[in-house]
Amino acid sequence: MTAAALPRHGVAAWVAPLGGLVVLCLAFGWHIAVGAKTIPLGTVAEALLAYDAGVFDHVVIVDLRLPRAVLAVLVGASLAVAGALMQGVTRNPLAEPGILGLLIGASFAVVVFVGVFDLASPALIPLVAALGALAAAMAVWGIATAAPGGATPLTLVLSGAAITAFLGALVTVATLLDEQTFEELRVWLTGSLAGRRGDILVWTLPWLTVGLVIAFGVARQVTALAMGDETAVGLGMRVGRLKALVLLAVVALTASAVAIAGPMGFVGLVVPHAVRLFVGQDYRLVVPWSALAGAIYLLVVDIAARLVLAPIEISTGLVTALLGAPIFVWLVRARL
Amino acid sequence: MSDATFSRLDGPVTFRLRARALAVFGLLVALVAGLLVLSLMTGSYPLDVRGVLATLAGAPPSDTAATVVWQFRFPRTLAAFLAGALLALSGATLQNVTRNPLADPSLVGVSQGAGLAVVAAIVIYPDLAPALRPLMAFAGALAVAALIQWIAMGRAGGATMRFILTGIGVAAFISAATSALLTYGQLDRAMSALGWLAGSVHAAGWTDVAILSGALAALVPLLFAASRPMAAMRLGTEMAAGLGVRVGRTRVALITLSVALAAAAVAMVGPLGFVGLVAPHMAHRLARSGVGLHLALSAAAGAVLVGAADLAGRALFAPVQIPAGIVTAVIGVPVFVWLILRTQARTQL
Repeated sequence: MTAAALPRHGVAAWVAPLGGLVVLCLAFGWHIAVGAKTIPLGTVAEALLAYDAGVFDHVVIVDLRLPRAVLAVLVGASLAVAGALMQGVTRNPLAEPGILGLLIGASFAVVVFVGVFDLASPALIPLVAALGALAAAMAVWGIATAAPGGATPLTLVLSGAAITAFLGALVTVATLLDEQTFEELRVWLTGSLAGRRGDILVWTLPWLTVGLVIAFGVARQVTALAMGDETAVGLGMRVGRLKALVLLAVVALTASAVAIAGPMGFVGLVVPHAVRLFVGQDYRLVVPWSALAGAIYLLVVDIAARLVLAPIEISTGLVTALLGAPIFVWLVRARL
Repeated sequence: MSDATFSRLDGPVTFRLRARALAVFGLLVALVAGLLVLSLMTGSYPLDVRGVLATLAGAPPSDTAATVVWQFRFPRTLAAFLAGALLALSGATLQNVTRNPLADPSLVGVSQGAGLAVVAAIVIYPDLAPALRPLMAFAGALAVAALIQWIAMGRAGGATMRFILTGIGVAAFISAATSALLTYGQLDRAMSALGWLAGSVHAAGWTDVAILSGALAALVPLLFAASRPMAAMRLGTEMAAGLGVRVGRTRVALITLSVALAAAAVAMVGPLGFVGLVAPHMAHRLARSGVGLHLALSAAAGAVLVGAADLAGRALFAPVQIPAGIVTAVIGVPVFVWLILRTQARTQL
């Protein structure tokens, strides 16, 4: 990668992050402004800074639109960071929670948990999603490592596709057996932020925090690991322990995203690659910038999902797939 | 690869191989017949063997039996067999041309391309005659096949694993586009498209059977006519060129043929996953043979596979019907994983 790394010192070191935050705030405001009724940005700012329960628009903003925008920020950030970590550790430009089967693993676990056992406690959903993502990740990794040639980008993607097809079929069976669950989960299963309640957030936030804290903590070591296991060992790192930590972070982040919004593919692929074009290969920069860019990306995608075919809303997960799949194909062509 | 090995062997060996293949073929055909009877017996109005045979002979035990068998179960079962055979032939052809054991029309997006074209037709222009669906599907599938070929071409040529990876990406894109179209389309139309998308033969009638068998009758002679250049292609492009095959032209022709086979099946019963992967592989494991016999064995295995999948999908969770495409995916993925574990070493990126 020949990208110029951002300057680390002086005024410029502050300008870029500040600029990113400003863009995030603008996207956030725009996201809230857009909807069945377009609300001026000024009113949005007013509602957030000086809430007045007597003004109808303020109620709409704070009760309906603000939660969705917050969830978009969290989901985008966690998926992007998960993707960045996976690409670094597996040294695979195609790694991503969706491609490698973690999203479908988490979704399958949630569908079985909610549908078959008829339990819908929001407290347990992130845990169930995490267990599903973990199991899927182990299965994909196990198949790819057992294949002749080891865990190459090719074997990882193929075993990810296998797990996705298998669990996808089982999800369809589960939803056919229980039509009522199907109705409730149908939109969620395509990856959607519509009608998500804020209360799931309370139970997801611990997972999200754990995932992000670990991700920021191990970012420095991931840079070394991305250069090869030998390099990392040579630098005195305990590679096994580090990989386990990264897996924990990836699973926690993926589970949070799935618990909130269902499987949203390709976010973890697109954002880190875009970020690396600007900041280079240092994961101390890639991880935080992926979080920021992922949040902005998902806000914008969610705006597009509501605007493109208005008044009909497309599932956000479909838009991320429509944007991300061509990037995947391009990466296959350019990098492999 | 079996050709390369066995064509050098002496006559009796070849003969014994062919005898075994023919025996297996006979066995598969018998299985198809058995599945047919079982399928006609099974359902919410159960019939015994005698009832089924009597109905088929023209002396049904009751009017209901006649209706159930002739109007619903018979066309449905035939559609399953025909679609299975078409998809198996498509997969076998694709694997021979790309020399890639993992090539399957549903994995690389060809089936999804056919699906998108048909869904677009159903949602945008609902009055389209069902007979035109295969043409739409063919156009969609061919466009996707051309696109993947075009993208996968490059430094290492199109016949590598990059073809598969590109296909996986394209398949994801097309699936999302199809879902978006379903969201956009009016719900009742979308629902009819949705049932079809899972790959189900439950609504198949005699029209579908007629179209499927028409496609089979039209395409199979072409396929067998092409079996000689296909055998050469299996040995690799250099070898094929050395044997006097015009590689570029043959490749395009065979891929088009494979796409047409898959499109016909997908147009009528929806994308049935992994049949094109599993059936040719089953055929290969059951009996080693030349290309022509392998195609016949694959077709029979595909018919057995989809027929059994449809039966299982109906019987397992009755009264809920699981689409045959779901059952074939559940059966197909373990085979796919096994193929990944086994064949990677030979096919480098």
